[in-house]
Amino acid sequence: MDWRAGVARWFVGLALATIAGCAGPGEPRTPDDGGLKILRIARRNEHKSLDPAGQFDSASAQIVANVYDTLLEYDYLKRPYQLVPGLLERMPEKQEDGVTYLFTLRRGVRFIDDEAFTNGVGREVGVDDVIYSIKRFADANINVKSYILMQGVIAGLDEFRQKTRTLGRAIDYDAHDVEGLRRLDEYRMLVQFTGENPLALYPLAASPMSIVAREAVEFYGDAIAQHPVGTGPFLLRTNDRRGTMVLAKNPNYHGRYPRQGESGDADRRLLVDAGKQLPLIDEVHLPLIEESQPAMLRFRKGELDLHTVDRDNFIKMVHRDEGGRFHLKSPYSEQFLMFAEEALTCEYIAFNMNDPLVGQNRALRQAIAYALDVDAFIEVMLNGRAERLATIVPHPIAGSERDIAIEYYTYDPAKAKAKLAEAGFPEGVGLPPIQFDFRSTAKEARQGFEYVRHELAMVGIKAVARFHTFSAYLQRIESGNFQVGNSGWFADYPDAENFYQLLYGKNRPPGPNMGAFSHPEYDRLYEETRFMPNGPERFALFERMAMIVRDEAPVVLRFNRLDFGIYQKRLRNVTGHMMNDAPYKFFNLDLGESGQE
Amino acid sequence: MIAYIARRLLQSIPIVFGVALLVFLLFSTVGEDPVRAALGSHATQESIDDLRQRWGLDQPLPVQFADFLRQIATLDLGESYNSGERLTKIFRRGAMVSLSLTVPPFIIGILVNISIALLIAYFRGSWFDHLATVVFVGSMSVSYLVYIITFQYVFAFQLDWFPISGYERGPASLPYLVLPWIIIVVVSAGPDIRVLRTVFLEETRADYVRTAHAKGASERVILFRHILRNAMIPILTQWVTSVPFLLLGAFLMERFFSIPGLGDTLINAIHTGDRPILMSLTVLIAIAYSLFNLLTDVLYAYADPRVKLS
Repeated sequence: MDWRAGVARWFVGLALATIAGCAGPGEPRTPDDGGLKILRIARRNEHKSLDPAGQFDSASAQIVANVYDTLLEYDYLKRPYQLVPGLLERMPEKQEDGVTYLFTLRRGVRFIDDEAFTNGVGREVGVDDVIYSIKRFADANINVKSYILMQGVIAGLDEFRQKTRTLGRAIDYDAHDVEGLRRLDEYRMLVQFTGENPLALYPLAASPMSIVAREAVEFYGDAIAQHPVGTGPFLLRTNDRRGTMVLAKNPNYHGRYPRQGESGDADRRLLVDAGKQLPLIDEVHLPLIEESQPAMLRFRKGELDLHTVDRDNFIKMVHRDEGGRFHLKSPYSEQFLMFAEEALTCEYIAFNMNDPLVGQNRALRQAIAYALDVDAFIEVMLNGRAERLATIVPHPIAGSERDIAIEYYTYDPAKAKAKLAEAGFPEGVGLPPIQFDFRSTAKEARQGFEYVRHELAMVGIKAVARFHTFSAYLQRIESGNFQVGNSGWFADYPDAENFYQLLYGKNRPPGPNMGAFSHPEYDRLYEETRFMPNGPERFALFERMAMIVRDEAPVVLRFNRLDFGIYQKRLRNVTGHMMNDAPYKFFNLDLGESGQE
Repeated sequence: MIAYIARRLLQSIPIVFGVALLVFLLFSTVGEDPVRAALGSHATQESIDDLRQRWGLDQPLPVQFADFLRQIATLDLGESYNSGERLTKIFRRGAMVSLSLTVPPFIIGILVNISIALLIAYFRGSWFDHLATVVFVGSMSVSYLVYIITFQYVFAFQLDWFPISGYERGPASLPYLVLPWIIIVVVSAGPDIRVLRTVFLEETRADYVRTAHAKGASERVILFRHILRNAMIPILTQWVTSVPFLLLGAFLMERFFSIPGLGDTLINAIHTGDRPILMSLTVLIAIAYSLFNLLTDVLYAYADPRVKLS
């Protein structure tokens, strides 16, 4: 055969195969794992540390939360989000003084087997481990990132932290007690908070507050950051930061799947495994895939079980029906399932209240609020992946606009122009360009600004922008060297207080009140509502606070985002959970074509 | 020659010092504040001070610079701000991976591109030369990223000939590397062949080629024995000076194919403000670049007997 004919055939074959392949995505394949239930999910970033007290980033928490345990955790199914016991046997019990809580540990919980323990066998968790872990969390030589969660919360803990700073790494924890941590017996302890503060329990569910074993810390030293020894649902089998992290089932894990959920959860098959011993799968494989395309291709090929849907894939894969509900488009709808969940975020633009122009001119701020069409922005720039906010509190949190009556600014160019005239700048005449600062240099920020700039120009307001790296942005905000900042907040804990504090006068920079808004009535109401239980009384005060925010317009509220996830049909028990990024212990997999377990 | 090498090595010391100073000043004055980048919006003044102290950033700049120079001189490069891992460990591990990604296609590329360029030079002025010019100029005009995305989609996802992404250490890495190698060879073909073609054509017009023809030497002998050898000096310059950058891998390739090399480490360090990695890697590459420049000069002497090192 002529060699040229051979080459030609090879090229024709390649072209035909390519065309055939491009006809549509192939069916996702089910990996053959020999009967093991192996969950595969991509990591998008490298973790920084697997030492609970040494990490405070989501990539690290994704692993730490699965190999360690916290005293409390968030219920997987209940909404609004609520705390449930983790390592504790029951929720902390408030004592008569109102500031002290009784903590009772679950009995029989053991650390995983590890050579750090005598004979390599993990021992039972006791109160001493809890006290040691809290002290270690407060150690300034170890934790420089997340102590803010507990700052000023437990009596004597700040003082202990100061001692660790003074004495350095040589500090002996046993020689320095913390006033608010009192051991009663092997399983019970009293924790005294600095005041009546129901929010103080939330940090106990955060991964930096995980319980560690003293022997393991002492055995591994700094290497504990790479060698977790916990009581979590999984243990770390392969530690490859830049490759695939592998977690294996901890057969002695104490947790069980929740027995109850919200209405509709049974229909969504979220209660099939109710009451079962966790975890429900054998292994979790977490390959590092930083780019969007290969991650989505691997998901579509069946090599990943769950994946987030980013903006580009959202357009291709998802549509919204007339009722506002989101669905997968064909052919994806035949192959995959999807969930959508409101994130616990609030995005807003904040005015620098010390700025001589925008800070001193309420009508100008209101003009800007009327000029911005948030609904259109969501539709055009975010493809509908967000919901407009009327209060600073995201919708899923109690005390949001779903619980109070509030009318917020809606797009109205005529009113914007009227307010602009009231501000002293009819048709924008005499108004210098408004300076916007962005906390990102990404193209999304630049495109978003162009949209806003156009809307403001329509009513006569000129806008210019500076785009910064995040740290440079924070420095600019703290120095007060800005006019309008594009900002946002992600919930540290699911309580409205975490969002209303963003405008509390005492939280001015370097605190989170970036615009240094100060309003005596707002501050008084904030202090009054801060530790109140949710209910009509608290919500009534929130309503007044929301009105102050609207009338004074120190910020223009925009939206909270929606998160989307797509997953294989073989994966069960999937629901969006904004306080738990990696709820792998609740997931289950159907094995084989028949869908049998 | 030894005296020449020693003199060149001594000359490279102020160059490396200058690079170190420049890099240090750049990252210390105009770069992102790594402490703020690490702490984010939850920073308190107390935590900022603590972290500055831990990373030695509370020291005066001259002290920090002296410490940096000491680290470079002793190759005890300290730890990553992000992971706390020793930099020497990160670099050693990443460099091996990057080299496994870049060296094979580099060598394959040299052989393939020289062959094609010689072929084009041989058929200069013919339809084959014109076609090759169009094809390779066209291929140069397409972004590297487009090759990656297209090849990954077509050959890995649709045709299922290769894994989409991933990496395993040792020989098991081979299946994951083949597609990236193919892309690197394809991407390098356009610019390399264009340069080589020009170099070869320059040589074909030289007097010694005419003399060889007059002496009755065959076209093959002229091409391989005379033209190729005389063309080696510009080719060596191009290739040997690019060797240090093979250490950095091909960062886009590493990101898209999840290959844990140094290029991806560098990009992540830029994103996260991991200053020790950025500064050390920049200075180490500067050192490697100086050494390979020296190597190029030494190789000149072997490639061209007229070159004397003195």
